[in-house]
Amino acid sequence: MEQKLRDGAKALLEQGKVDYIIGFEPGSLKFTTTPLITRDKDDIDRLVINPFIVNNLSAYLTELEGRVGIVAKGCDSRSIVSLIQDKQIAREDIVIIGIPCPGLIDLSKIEQLAGKDRDEVDDITREGDRVVIVVDGKKQEFPITEVLFDNCLGCDMPTPSEYDILLSESSPLVTDKTSSRKKIEGLKGTSQEERWSFWEKEFSRCIRCYACRNVCPACFCKRCFVEESEPQWISPVPQWQDNLMFQVIRNIHVAGRCTDCGECERACPVNIQLRSLAKEMYDIVDDLFQFKAGMDKEAAPLLTAYAVEEAEDFIR
Amino acid sequence: MKQESEWEPKLLGLLCRWCSYAGADLAGTSRKKYPANIKILKVPCSGRVDPLFILKALRLGFDGVLVSGCHPGDCHYQTGNYRARRRVAITKKLLEYMGIDPRRIQASWVSAAEGGKFAEVVAEVTKELKEIGPNQLFTPEGKGYGAKATGRG
Amino acid sequence: MASSNKKISKRDTGKLLNEWSQEFAVFVPSRETGVATMAKWDGKDTSFLDWHRNTVIPPKANFLPAMEEMFNFQRDKEGYHIELPPQDKHKQLIFGIRPCDAKALAILDMTFSDSYQDPYYLSKRKNAVLVGVGCTKAYDSCFCTSLGISPAESTDVDLMLTDIGDEFLIEAITEAGKKLISRSRGLAEANEADETRAKASKEAAYQKVTRQLDTDNIKQRLLANLENKDYWEKIAAKCLSCGVCTFLCPTCYCFDINDELVKQQGARFRSWDSCAFPVYTEMPMENPRVEKWRRVRQRVYHKYEFYPMSFDVTACTGCGRCIRLCPVNWDITQALNNLPAKV
Repeated sequence: MEQKLRDGAKALLEQGKVDYIIGFEPGSLKFTTTPLITRDKDDIDRLVINPFIVNNLSAYLTELEGRVGIVAKGCDSRSIVSLIQDKQIAREDIVIIGIPCPGLIDLSKIEQLAGKDRDEVDDITREGDRVVIVVDGKKQEFPITEVLFDNCLGCDMPTPSEYDILLSESSPLVTDKTSSRKKIEGLKGTSQEERWSFWEKEFSRCIRCYACRNVCPACFCKRCFVEESEPQWISPVPQWQDNLMFQVIRNIHVAGRCTDCGECERACPVNIQLRSLAKEMYDIVDDLFQFKAGMDKEAAPLLTAYAVEEAEDFIR
Repeated sequence: MKQESEWEPKLLGLLCRWCSYAGADLAGTSRKKYPANIKILKVPCSGRVDPLFILKALRLGFDGVLVSGCHPGDCHYQTGNYRARRRVAITKKLLEYMGIDPRRIQASWVSAAEGGKFAEVVAEVTKELKEIGPNQLFTPEGKGYGAKATGRG
Repeated sequence: MASSNKKISKRDTGKLLNEWSQEFAVFVPSRETGVATMAKWDGKDTSFLDWHRNTVIPPKANFLPAMEEMFNFQRDKEGYHIELPPQDKHKQLIFGIRPCDAKALAILDMTFSDSYQDPYYLSKRKNAVLVGVGCTKAYDSCFCTSLGISPAESTDVDLMLTDIGDEFLIEAITEAGKKLISRSRGLAEANEADETRAKASKEAAYQKVTRQLDTDNIKQRLLANLENKDYWEKIAAKCLSCGVCTFLCPTCYCFDINDELVKQQGARFRSWDSCAFPVYTEMPMENPRVEKWRRVRQRVYHKYEFYPMSFDVTACTGCGRCIRLCPVNWDITQALNNLPAKV
């Protein structure tokens, strides 16, 4: 797959079909990759595909000028479609190089299983529906569902349906929808007061670095409401109340755009359970309006559309 | 802090200028009685209501928010109220999940001719808010601002 | 030759901390809040003694918190009444600070006690006792040794502890440190064998730091590339302009000031700010750093060029947080190591 990707990307640049290629290259830390954004065909041989290609690269599309060839997993391709729906990018400016994605490995789950930090693990190899972890020379094997990201376990589209090049046949879907929503259901099983104090605790450690917003392809506003000063909607001081309000509003603003790619939670340096908010919103939208983000580039964005008969029961 | 018995809920009404605001006006001119708990903010259309306004009101200590617009099909701008409907629907659901009583977020369709209905809606919502009690979600210490000097340390 | 240093068994360290708690507010590495940080010790848990390396939130947060009330005010008929927030009477004792983070505080001291003496930072800083604990492992993002810092040695603390197996060797670095150990109970005299073990432990820790930053001619290379837009544009491309690297940097000190006002009362807060944000330099007429590469360049130059110009020290201690916690693995060592020698 990697060779096909490199050949394809190189050809796109050489033939002048794109100005940029966005993909993944090996990161500078163990088991990490890092985005590669380049116009230079000499960089192309660094492109990789592995179980650690976590970033949703479509977040870069709105800031690049010209035509872009982009490596996209299923969720990323949905973000791209969503950006097209919102007219933030034009389909003809994007060459989607689709990767059928078998799910990505969540290093924090590996750390828990191994009882070691990421960089102390010797090796992590995926073998079909198993994962082999080597720690201090000792091999341990686990079902792959134990180490995939929660959002991967709930994946609705592992293989992009919108693409220009597809790097291989679609891969078998490994999901575990129950585990995917486990944290959320756990929270829902508690009382209103308990839920509120849970979120108070979560948002008490928010430092307002905005990594969650900046990694999010659905957060494409040129100016975010948090930066408005007249009126000042929320305080820039990272009090939990305003941190919480910021995140709730962010999730409402990206409702119908969020593809549950899980980047917000992964990017958070202080481990706030952000995906438990994003995924709940994702399911609310699906439940109320049978809408899943980024499935159909011709569909109108959720919050600009309506049906005459819908969700009326709460209105007096 | 006031005694529970003296406490009166504060309700923010976000009313569309074409229907519900005119409906509120009519309630006044036709001398309909309704609780003075509502503070009214006129918006161009219920479609103007960003869920941010609802959260901001709760953050500032309102006990509830009522978004009110034209009946379906009657929007001055054709579709604003339908859009508002979607936004309020998801806001209510998400806030309930966060741990906020969904009855704090209310919506109604009130036309310019429905002064009576407006009065009824305000009375009903006020009654519900009294049942829920004061909003201390963001200000558990009862202070106007919520921060304490803490390191994230 | 007898050693002048002390030692304590790891098992008894909790007792020592309890003793210190009578006099100080003791802070230790903790994950109680959900993220590794220096938090008030609960008096019981000593699991942090098994930690090998630095926390996610740097100890700078104990002196320059993410947010801090500067004063609060009330308004009535007579006008405004201003009140300073109550000061914590207890002195802080930070136990388990790593050499990189201790050095970072020494660097921050220069900024906050320059021509302007910052009362908020300094009141906490002057009252604090730092008890360093040497790292026994390094993250793959750590590069302190490239900046002249040893992961298990420090002169920026009051006491320095070195892991020597079941015990810690305790060295008093400052006068305050000497006084503290002289009145602490339960410490044993260290012997020559302990010193030998400590030396080996320090050496082993040093070897564990594998990431290298090429500091040769770094000033010249930076100066030569100041206007190298192509280079900065290329390496800035993947930056998301979030605040992770700066907020969690132990030497970044930029802050914003805001008034919180509700009705007749309110407070003035300061909170962390970041040069990575486009709004950071926004002014009524223009923004000199609209473009991302200018912001990325600013961060690198501030640490490696401007700060050394003012204070003769690099404002980076190689703690590795900005590399490890960056959502896209933007790596400052790569950015500096790959600086073209000639433009």
